Amino acid sequence: MSTSDEFFDRSEFIRYFEDETDELLNSIDADLLRLEHFIDAGPIDAEIVNSLFRALHTIKGSAGMLEFAEVQQVAHKLENVYDLLRKDRMPLTESGVELLFEGRDVLTGLIRAAIGGTAAPAGVEAYVERLDSFAAVYESTAQVIEGVRSDAAPDEDLTPVTAAEVSAFEAEVERLLAEAERRARTPATPVDPAEAPPDVEAAQAAVDALFAALPAAAAPDAVRARPASAEPVATNPRAAAKPDAKRGQSAKNQTIRVDIERLDLLLDLVGELVINRTRISDIAATLRREVGNGARAQHDLATLAKDLSESSALLGRTTNEIQESIMKVRMVPIGQVFDRFPRMVRDLAKARGKEVHLEIAGAETDLDKTIVDEVGEPLMHLVRNCVDHGIEPPDVREARGKPRHGTVKLNAYHEGNQVIIEIADDGGGVDLQRVRDKAVRMGIIDETAKLSDREIVELIFTPGFSTVEHVTDVSGRGVGMDVVKKNILRLKGVFDVDAVRGQGTTFTMKLPLTLAIIQALLVRVADELYSIPLDAVIESQRIEPSDVRTVQGGEVITLRGQVVPLIRVGEFFGLDAPRDPDKVMIVIVGLQGRQVGLVVDSFQGEQEIVIKPLSDVIGRIAGISGATILGNGSISLIIDVHSLVGRVMGLRAHDTGGPRYAPVRSEEMLKEARWVPNY
Amino acid sequence: MGSERTAVETIQVVSFRLGLEEYGVDIAQVQEINRMVAVTHVPRAPQFMEGVINLRGQLIPIIDLRARFGMPRAEPTKNTRIVVTEIGAKRVGMVVDSVSEVLRLAVDQIEAAPEMITGADTEYIRGVGKIDDRLIILLDLARVISTAERHELESAGAGDAAAVA
Repeated sequence: MSTSDEFFDRSEFIRYFEDETDELLNSIDADLLRLEHFIDAGPIDAEIVNSLFRALHTIKGSAGMLEFAEVQQVAHKLENVYDLLRKDRMPLTESGVELLFEGRDVLTGLIRAAIGGTAAPAGVEAYVERLDSFAAVYESTAQVIEGVRSDAAPDEDLTPVTAAEVSAFEAEVERLLAEAERRARTPATPVDPAEAPPDVEAAQAAVDALFAALPAAAAPDAVRARPASAEPVATNPRAAAKPDAKRGQSAKNQTIRVDIERLDLLLDLVGELVINRTRISDIAATLRREVGNGARAQHDLATLAKDLSESSALLGRTTNEIQESIMKVRMVPIGQVFDRFPRMVRDLAKARGKEVHLEIAGAETDLDKTIVDEVGEPLMHLVRNCVDHGIEPPDVREARGKPRHGTVKLNAYHEGNQVIIEIADDGGGVDLQRVRDKAVRMGIIDETAKLSDREIVELIFTPGFSTVEHVTDVSGRGVGMDVVKKNILRLKGVFDVDAVRGQGTTFTMKLPLTLAIIQALLVRVADELYSIPLDAVIESQRIEPSDVRTVQGGEVITLRGQVVPLIRVGEFFGLDAPRDPDKVMIVIVGLQGRQVGLVVDSFQGEQEIVIKPLSDVIGRIAGISGATILGNGSISLIIDVHSLVGRVMGLRAHDTGGPRYAPVRSEEMLKEARWVPNY
Repeated sequence: MGSERTAVETIQVVSFRLGLEEYGVDIAQVQEINRMVAVTHVPRAPQFMEGVINLRGQLIPIIDLRARFGMPRAEPTKNTRIVVTEIGAKRVGMVVDSVSEVLRLAVDQIEAAPEMITGADTEYIRGVGKIDDRLIILLDLARVISTAERHELESAGAGDAAAVA
């Protein structure tokens, strides 16, 4: 197949292979976790083994097509082991399952290496050897077992199948398999059943007939397990309708793969529609004003304005609909992320000598693909944290009157325009005293600092903070929580932790459904229009310059008894922005209960805006998160409220009355703090 | 193609002026040439970063090539143009004094960059093309941009330091 490249676009195929194997490896993980429960627990659910077998077979086939020989080889050997399992020629043991789990990981490594074009990871050969010797034991005894089996008395209510029928069936299946394999090697054009060679049709008919003759429940194991081998022929719709294959079909995601770039393009188009809608309403407004001004109110002009308003409304409705449907296309279930946790929790619990049950709810909850992609890392950190730090060892739990096994609950649900994800454990919670002591030792807080329980819990988000004395390879390096929080804030989300000593910890993240289109407050600063995301805005008001006071070099105002620090946006951005001696226009923005006032020149109303990233040629600009195009075609930069507030909070405690402590002392914050003399 | 010179390969360049010098960029990298439009200033961006413009719904960053090459800035005139280029996946607009023409340069007319060129650093220069008495400085746009990014990082650091002073 050295000329295979001429037949199909290899890179396209590799992309497909990557997606496909991703899904299959996940399903293998899930199946293995289910399989594990059958160790020493009676007959194995045949569906699980069949599903595993199918997954490996598909990987093997695709790998063969792409000439990934090593992937193909390992998949093939694993497939053999599953074959032994489903033929009941091999007992299910703990070491066996462990070997299969390991096999899944070896396969993952090989696939990644093959796709990336890098060398196969170390240890593959050693693994294959172990697998071979493991399987060899059972393969050699298979004949003996088979012999014993045929001697066993059949259940009374089973229709006996003659040996001749079985071997005829097996021959047919082998032939079909060979045919399927041959097809799998030819370029991947879908097989039209009408064009299928007659002999395959005939073989198919023979298999169908044989099936009709065999009441499914009556077939002995050896035969019942067989039909799954016919699955590779599933390009033929008739084969796909087979009872065994059907399960595989229904278990598959009912989704289509859509190139994310195409979706983004659609989203851009919708963005322009939104812009146009705004433009039309601008025109309408202008027209109305003209008519009003010029007393010579021409009837035509008035009608025109009315028409325009109407069409603007209509356009608005359409764009809303398009926007909504596009959003939906971009939505994917959070389950895509949750899927990887059962395996992770299992392995981690095992390594830590803990017993942990993972409960997942709301896996079908949809949110924007971008957010799903971004939220995976933080979630993984949190789940690890729960298992590693939250859940106590079984003996400790028992001593505390809790069940030996701990429980980690993952839950996702919609609430209004947000998605809430909760990660809860029933472990030891957060030891406030220990956190406090540690913070004092690290010099994060002063020994005499008065902190509420909530503030103490929040200390765990300090960069470099960890209460665990020994560093494990999982978490406890103190790189977790601050990064998690930062990532969630970047997604315009909210992150909260609620810990009850001895009873457990609950992390809650609230995420927006989508990031692309938001409501914004437009403000003018030094003749440029800036947009402030409305979800961060608490209120906007005009105050007297005399209301502004200076505390420790920084400007503040008192708002309903609370001291609110001010940032002069124009000065922060280094713009030529003279201060207005008569009034101060402030926009109060808040993040996580903390408030900051942004001083601007004037308010320009609210508008729906489409977020566009600034080019990476410009790079990241502190205080700017992107830009948008306004109705008149001009550009408005979007203010990054989080980074602005973060800067101020990093420098000054919001509670100016109490003892002062700098919550954060990392290098990075110190560096960012350098511009403080402005205040 | 003239039969007597078929052996000589030629390239097409868009030539433009910055001050007294004439520059050229590979025509394949030029997407379009626009008149000067209002540029939205991006605060805290590197000094040669003029800002961003709206090009049919797309945000395009604009580099002032004069500032980029350390030449004094010039007020826009009716001849000022924005040359929108595409380098890899990046689109960047460059402000130039004026665009002259599209030239065909024989490869054997191109020489390595001499050391004493006044404007652009030799780092950004692919070579110098000669047509009659004219010298066309051929730019390596990928470098103009990649060093722009590096420069951005440096100047961001410098900016913070400056704010302290």
